[in-house]
Amino acid sequence: MSLVTVNIDDKSYEAKENSLLIDLLILHDIKVPYFCYHESLGADGNCRMCMVEIEGKKRPQIACDTFVSDGMSIQTASEKISSVRKRILELELINHPVDCPICDQAGECKLQDYYMDFGLYDSNIDMKEKVHNKKHIALGSSVILDRERCVLCTRCVRFTSNITKSGELGVINRGDKACISTVPGMKLDNPYAMNVVDLCPVGALTSKEFRFAQRVWFLKSTPSICHGCSTGCNIFIDHNQEKYKEDKIYRIRPRKNREVNGDFICDYGRLSYKNLQENRQQELLNKSNVISYEDALLELNSKISGSKNIVILVDANLYNEDIAAISNFSQKIGAKLVCPTECYFDDSFGDDWLKSDYKCANLQAIKNYKIDSLFSSDQQIDLLINFNHPSFSKFSSKQSVEFSTHKGSSAELVLAIPAYSEYSGTTINDANIEQYSQKAITTDVATISEYLSDLSKVAL
Amino acid sequence: MSFNFNDDNLEKIELLKSKYPKVQALSLPLLWMAQYQDGFISLEAIQEIAKICETPMMEIYKVSTFYSMFNLQKLGKYHIQLCKTLSCKLCNKDDVLKSIQNELNIQVGESTSDGLFTLSQVECLGSCGTSPVMQLNETYYENLTPISIVEILKALK
Ligand code: SF4
Ligand code: SF4
Ligand code: FES
Ligand code: FES
Repeated sequence: MSLVTVNIDDKSYEAKENSLLIDLLILHDIKVPYFCYHESLGADGNCRMCMVEIEGKKRPQIACDTFVSDGMSIQTASEKISSVRKRILELELINHPVDCPICDQAGECKLQDYYMDFGLYDSNIDMKEKVHNKKHIALGSSVILDRERCVLCTRCVRFTSNITKSGELGVINRGDKACISTVPGMKLDNPYAMNVVDLCPVGALTSKEFRFAQRVWFLKSTPSICHGCSTGCNIFIDHNQEKYKEDKIYRIRPRKNREVNGDFICDYGRLSYKNLQENRQQELLNKSNVISYEDALLELNSKISGSKNIVILVDANLYNEDIAAISNFSQKIGAKLVCPTECYFDDSFGDDWLKSDYKCANLQAIKNYKIDSLFSSDQQIDLLINFNHPSFSKFSSKQSVEFSTHKGSSAELVLAIPAYSEYSGTTINDANIEQYSQKAITTDVATISEYLSDLSKVAL
Repeated sequence: MSFNFNDDNLEKIELLKSKYPKVQALSLPLLWMAQYQDGFISLEAIQEIAKICETPMMEIYKVSTFYSMFNLQKLGKYHIQLCKTLSCKLCNKDDVLKSIQNELNIQVGESTSDGLFTLSQVECLGSCGTSPVMQLNETYYENLTPISIVEILKALK
């Protein structure tokens, strides 16, 4: 496709011929307000917020429905455009309740942002004359609808009709009475439903899990990779450490990556943060007694030196760096390294969009390190060392050690390790893309690499 | 409860299908058919129409809520649709309305407990010259007064 030159606010830009003007504006961070347009949902042209002036056109035009052509000249910040935007915003706000102080969207709300950018008028509307509507409708899938706050951009509707093709949502009635709804008696119910919460530009759709939990401006967002399955969706882990409390994760949001997950994640992955903070192993235990880090290493060392037939189990969720360290370690002590993978397989989970049949984040690394995925042994195992593999309990051995993120281990020696959100590392997804997760939460617990390098010092 | 189109309607549906390039185009005619068949459009009917039109139920449901002439609730035997637009308003439809409400003891949007009458207000019925006007089922009653309306209603009881 050939390139064309477009003039925007007296600067020239190159763009593909017949591409959307709004995409060009967004790409170059040129301020343009919009509710209904969304890169993954396309243009709908219903909100009219994205007006710009185009030379030669009598009236302002919407940027989301304008295709660029060579020599086009555009004004995005003229006085005329500002006043047009102000008026449209005023219409948008006629029936809006302006209940920002009790709205979860406050701080990341487009309506708020645009009002501060383009609005700032004195309202002509008496609060008492506004059309009132239902404010907490449970749509299903943990999504709550506030009809008064809705700007009818139909992003949520287009998500269910064009992306998940489940068609649960629609605009019913018309005029002042138009609102978002499901068919009476039916629920919003699909494995990706909660994406509508991110898509909604205002506080009309909020998540039951996040409602009233935190003000968004207190949250820190750490880029990470979901460990729910081998797709490796890019996410933000939103967390906050309140005074005198532990650092806590409040939500997981999709992080845009066109190669992997686009703008979306599945609900399973979105809610997986709960498991990251429940029932966690914090202490080091020897036969159920809490022991120190040094004693734990000595105990581990003596177990290793006293055993002949050693088997190491490694979880396919660990970072590449862990798997490399474990693989080295296992060679050094002459152990057999395995990762049975059938426990991760669940074809009722996978689908033809994001969710994959393997519910582990780093299967590819297990393959790359040529770690056995099948294991059977008629020989008695002297020592079984498990690095957080879920099938530990299926094996019997004379002695056992478990590096574990979660409580409930039956091993003699239990060594707490951090969950993926608590340290950084890389994973490789099923399309062979290597991706980096940053550390979101701070913990005192040692990582696998730390254990293994300290162990080699003890073993000297 | 389930909804099925009667044989006459099924025949008509086949005929309609041959007229349009897409089955989705049948949404409106099928909603009318369902309304004439049952007197109102039930959710079951919407489900059946969605099946015939090969579209999600929501698509049919939202169309049915968009048009005010589709009734999603069961109506009384007589559906009173009193015009509320300008000419009728100027010619005193408000008193006619009061008179209906007194006589039947119901508000706009309600039905009498015996299931005989449902009261609605609608936009201009296109008969401004003879306002105030009401449409009772398929019949127009014109030049209404607070007294004449009571006689009409009494005769129907
Ligand atoms: S609920 Fe949100 S996403 Fe859906 S139409 Fe309303 S404002 Fe748009
Ligand atoms: S599809 Fe897989 S990787 Fe993506 S969010 Fe869901 S569980 Fe996580
Ligand atoms: S973004 Fe262009 S009309 Fe809504
Ligand atoms: S205004 Fe009542 S019929 Fe026209």
